[in-house]
Amino acid sequence: MAHEEWLERADIYGLGALDGDELIQFEAHLAACPVCDGHIRETRENLAVIARSLPPLTPPPQVKARLLHQISPEVTAPVQEKTRSGWFPWGISAGAFAAAGLVLALTWSLYATRQELHTLQKEVASIQTGSILHETSIEFLSDPHARSVHLKGLAPSPGAVGHFLWNPESRKGILITQGLSKNTPDKVYELWAIAGDEPVPVGTFSVEDKPHTLLKIPSLPQGKSFDKFAVTLEPAGGVPKPTGPMHLLGNV
Amino acid sequence: MTKVGRTYFDTRTGESSYADHDLSGKRDARTGETPLPADPTSAVHLIRRVANQDREAFSQLYERFSTLVFTLAMRMLKIRSEAEDLLQEVFVQVWRQARGYNAERGSPEAWLVNIARSRAVDKIRSIQRMGRSFVLTDAPGRAQLGETIESWTAESEVPITMNSALGNLPEIQRKVLELAYLDGMTQTEIAERLSEPLGTIKARMRAGIRRLREVVSSQVV
Repeated sequence: MAHEEWLERADIYGLGALDGDELIQFEAHLAACPVCDGHIRETRENLAVIARSLPPLTPPPQVKARLLHQISPEVTAPVQEKTRSGWFPWGISAGAFAAAGLVLALTWSLYATRQELHTLQKEVASIQTGSILHETSIEFLSDPHARSVHLKGLAPSPGAVGHFLWNPESRKGILITQGLSKNTPDKVYELWAIAGDEPVPVGTFSVEDKPHTLLKIPSLPQGKSFDKFAVTLEPAGGVPKPTGPMHLLGNV
Repeated sequence: MTKVGRTYFDTRTGESSYADHDLSGKRDARTGETPLPADPTSAVHLIRRVANQDREAFSQLYERFSTLVFTLAMRMLKIRSEAEDLLQEVFVQVWRQARGYNAERGSPEAWLVNIARSRAVDKIRSIQRMGRSFVLTDAPGRAQLGETIESWTAESEVPITMNSALGNLPEIQRKVLELAYLDGMTQTEIAERLSEPLGTIKARMRAGIRRLREVVSSQVV
């Protein structure tokens, strides 16, 4: 094949559109071709203009706040390590330092986990739907194996949120939602656990006059690794496969 | 995609060569570090500071590029919450992998756009897989129509600014570039979507990129 043809493929590769055997062949060629490598880099520089051609949209400020919060633990750890080294200028062995770093990291991890659980407990507590809800949720959160999945409201319920708290060991869980619209008698909300492409029905619930709902899940199906949870609006009684609009969605 | 002896940015898997390549370009003989650009406010300089966990530099970098990344994410994903998540994920990756950025392998803008685009393509694929099971919607009323993600994607494209570089391309070339770059479709998928022979699609892509290169080049000059 003439090299000009490789360069033509390089254009499409740079665009991300090469597929099939052509992709495999091209990557084998690319491994030893600095010319194509450079060509792809130049193509991608030029293609970035497509992103700049779009009418600009300003992201909401809370994204930056979340981002800075997310990276903050990663900053704290090295700062603590440096401070400690200043306190002991006479020298500490590398092993002791490593151990101290590990302890700090574990402490921080435990602290972050406790803080998260504490935050969730406060959120649960703020949902004043009665003592039963409080007791159930706090009992669940006190289990060290508990995990939390935040579900965001999609367009049919943009102001809605949900927390799915579940225990991978016991497979039990509870779903707490807020802001979902009251469903009509012929409809019901349905919670789905999603393993890859496969949605598994978990349970149904109705939203009545109270703004908050609680759904207890006795046991999630065994043998599946769930990576998403979602809530859809379905015909009364629920359905084995989702048919209605998705209102809440969260990634594990 | 199979890796073949080198790490390389891969728009299908979301891996980035920048994340894998060291700053191994022109290093200072004494310090072993790549010299910083003269302008301390340059994006390259900011990334170098971010590599040293400088939060102020990270904040400045975010202010400079977040609109570009978010705009691209909104165009590709259509769902605001997903676009916000993607924006956050991109900058977390920047925070963690800034040390791997190599200025000789591309501009900061292209680096960020490539990270965002590759992650968005992954999300599109994931959403499309879910769309086969769910009637997923982010627009009130659409669910009642029973529309899938794929058909929705096809009709709700954010318009390209016509006086931009891309706006200077002929419609048939611009269309295939948009489908590939902004909708994450492969050449085969585009050929099926447009009911055109694969060879025609390839030719349009190459002509579009060639034309884009000329337009960008003339704008730079």
